[in-house]
Amino acid sequence: MKLVRSGLSWVYVLLIFGFILMPVVSLVVFSFQATNLPVPPFTGPSLRWYEALFADSRMIEALRNSLVVGVVSGFFSTALGFLAAYGLARYRPRGARAIRAIVMTPLGVSYLVIGFGLSVTANELALGRSLVLVTLGHIIINLPLAFAIVLSQMRDEDENLEKAARDLGAGEWTVITRVAIPVLLPGIMAAFLLSFTLSWDEFIIAFFLADFDVTLPIEIWSQLRTGLDAKTNAAGTLVFAISLVALTLAYVLNRAVSQRSRRI
Amino acid sequence: MRKTQLTVSMAALSTSAFLLASCAGGSGGSATSSGGASSDAPQELNALVWCDHTDPELLAPFEEANNVTVNVRDYEGTGVALGILEQSQPGDWDVFVVDSVDVPRVAEAGILAPLSKDDFDFDQFFSEVQLPEIHELDGTLYAVPEKFGYNTVAFNGANVDAEKMRDLSFLWDPELAGKIAIYDYYIPVMEFVGLELGIEPQNITVDDLPAIEARLVELKAQSAQVGDVVSTQTALATGEVEVIVGGGEFSTSVLNAENPDLDWILPNQGGIRWQQAIGVLADSEKQELATKFVQYIVSPEGQAALATSSCYWGMPANKNATLTDEQKDILRWDEQSDFIANSYPYYIPDADLDAAMLDVWTRVVVG
Amino acid sequence: MEHQRRWQGWVLVGPALLVTLALFAAPMVMVVLTSLYRRSGGLTDRTLSFDNYIRLATDSTIHQALWNSIEVVALTVIFSTLIAYPFAYIVAYKVPQKWQALVLLLTVVPFWTSYVVRSYSWLLVLAKNGVINQTLVSWGIIAEPFTMANTRFATVLAFVHFFVMVSTLTIYASLRQIPRNLGLAARDLGASPLSVFLRITLPLSIPGVVVGAFLTFVLAIGDYITPQIVGGGNELVLPQLLMLQVSRMGDFPLAAAMALVLLIIVAAVYAVSAKNLTLERKR
Repeated sequence: MKLVRSGLSWVYVLLIFGFILMPVVSLVVFSFQATNLPVPPFTGPSLRWYEALFADSRMIEALRNSLVVGVVSGFFSTALGFLAAYGLARYRPRGARAIRAIVMTPLGVSYLVIGFGLSVTANELALGRSLVLVTLGHIIINLPLAFAIVLSQMRDEDENLEKAARDLGAGEWTVITRVAIPVLLPGIMAAFLLSFTLSWDEFIIAFFLADFDVTLPIEIWSQLRTGLDAKTNAAGTLVFAISLVALTLAYVLNRAVSQRSRRI
Repeated sequence: MRKTQLTVSMAALSTSAFLLASCAGGSGGSATSSGGASSDAPQELNALVWCDHTDPELLAPFEEANNVTVNVRDYEGTGVALGILEQSQPGDWDVFVVDSVDVPRVAEAGILAPLSKDDFDFDQFFSEVQLPEIHELDGTLYAVPEKFGYNTVAFNGANVDAEKMRDLSFLWDPELAGKIAIYDYYIPVMEFVGLELGIEPQNITVDDLPAIEARLVELKAQSAQVGDVVSTQTALATGEVEVIVGGGEFSTSVLNAENPDLDWILPNQGGIRWQQAIGVLADSEKQELATKFVQYIVSPEGQAALATSSCYWGMPANKNATLTDEQKDILRWDEQSDFIANSYPYYIPDADLDAAMLDVWTRVVVG
Repeated sequence: MEHQRRWQGWVLVGPALLVTLALFAAPMVMVVLTSLYRRSGGLTDRTLSFDNYIRLATDSTIHQALWNSIEVVALTVIFSTLIAYPFAYIVAYKVPQKWQALVLLLTVVPFWTSYVVRSYSWLLVLAKNGVINQTLVSWGIIAEPFTMANTRFATVLAFVHFFVMVSTLTIYASLRQIPRNLGLAARDLGASPLSVFLRITLPLSIPGVVVGAFLTFVLAIGDYITPQIVGGGNELVLPQLLMLQVSRMGDFPLAAAMALVLLIIVAAVYAVSAKNLTLERKR
């Protein structure tokens, strides 16, 4: 009986993985299609769509824009989220619950509404659409997450470390940069990584706020709307590859950093 | 020690990101839009267009010859374009590609800049598309015809009998149930449905709308999807549907190379003829450059590229477009005079009828 | 000293609050304001009126779109939860501890592909001559390819695909927090495995289920891309109707009113589930 249940479990897991992987495998496989349409039969393998992708200056520029927006908005979300979490946990200002509620509120609002709201506001202020606006949009959607992640990592025990540092004469800035941040580094990096990821593939807010300098999801969307070929498959696979690299890099760095932090 | 580790980690992360972007972008040529502070940084021209103008092969010759970057934003439906213009500041846009039938109201609204007829050789254009009565206002030229085609039926000749498609009523036949895609542009499709009911486009009034709506609802029940240019093309190409209502050569010519069975036809009841024109915006701060672009688009070479552009093909307005014989075959070049005779140009309703038609359409589509 | 500390606290928290005010609160106020404007004669008329709200209350097209949204999202939440729960359970209890993180990672990694391209891939996988149909036909399971793409089924399927992953993570987190000894103690006292599950595991994992369901609801009801790409334009959901107002009709005031409807729905659902919306261990 237990064996049957065990067997059933494994079948279920395999089914789930099959389900999850289906569109992704199709995406990757047909990026190597030799003919135009990314539908069966598979006529590859061919690298022509990757060549087309790298020769497509609009895609490459969009890729670059996405990376810049991701890194910049990730940095600011994480920095602001960290400062707010630290301020809240260590200084316990009055109205802490209200502060927490305010910072977290954007999480409950659909990206569509946030993007629409920012676009209407920008229009009223006669601010032209731009990547700067997109970056701002991504900051506001990731700030609550960065804040929550860092806050959840703050432990009361670490406060003693900071108190000790202060007793030894360290100023507030030193306490933050040399004690708090190193201890919280795994959480900070997780926050940055999550913010970057959510910004990097975000479509609707960027769609509302970008001008002619677009992010990768927008360029992919545009190309899907103006022509049918496997080049977008190549783009999707590339996004996948970059994400894998970034994830691996972050995982390796995170382990290296956490191991050092644990030695405190 | 930890700080060095931290700095090094962050530096490594950011550097790798930028390196990845730069080395991938190196081959792509980066001197284009953002940031170049060099003395010969290219000028920019902003164009509001139908998606067939976004093809890099169309834009590249002009960009290289004039050291310009042409930024394009595409739209589907004049209403959308007007919405974009309304949301923009004066000077944001330089070139406007717009349906010929919308030129009168757009010119009257002061959106388009007057053009000089001396800049264009009208003898090169097919006489049927010149239409001075809509491209000119009080004798002043406001837009130049550039491309035309048909909203009719496109279909997969391997699975659907071309002869049956000559009767528009066949679209409602149970044989085609679930095999139709409807092109999502309300004016031509509703007028096309009107043709089946015996109503000519220029005679459509609000009173005709209930009948058209009823017929449209029946058509929707037959259809598998409602979509834009590319999603209907995809559906036809992947065998999801066999017919595109409102489709035409613009749906199938792009796919012809891979599947020559994909074809289009004008039924006996007729079809709707679309025509695009191109003009310069009155608020543009680069009138001269914009006019040059217009001249390029209507030149023989520009017209050949536009006729066979990646989003959809169509007949060039210029008879001398440098197309190959094979391309002319696909576009049914020799049959054009028959087609023109058997088709009706879009009829653009006045604002009230337009709003009413759009309401009907939205009701039918939302389901 | 305390006084100074409190003040410093505000300095640290200040920037985040200001950013939230400028980039979130102000735009939301703007949305409310815009919803009170009107579109007339092709331009935005800034005189305040409730026209859009009257329209919301009376226009059946809008009601239909709203209803479509709720149905699609409800189906998504139900199926995602039903499919994710056993999976999360298996990972939490049947997979050896040291492999659990890896299994979860493998579950998440496929979603590192571009959302737009992934949706489009679903369209092609579900197509009449796509992978699924071709396989079923060649194995003789069906005679003719059947229609899956451009339907509500496709939209729900594509949504479920993504949200199974989300719910798996939240349910797993909840299951992991259940102290092992609770189940063990119950078994010692004679309870059957089914009883342990129904009376201990399941109730204690509800927070994970609720968080997953809530996230699914919020993200799905505001999603424009998936219905637009795989839904085939056959029935529109509220985000699509909103975008139609923005792009095709230029009717920002009406779009703003619709945006507020979305906001209110999410707020209502939040209010109902707020108590359970935490993954923190209940001390």
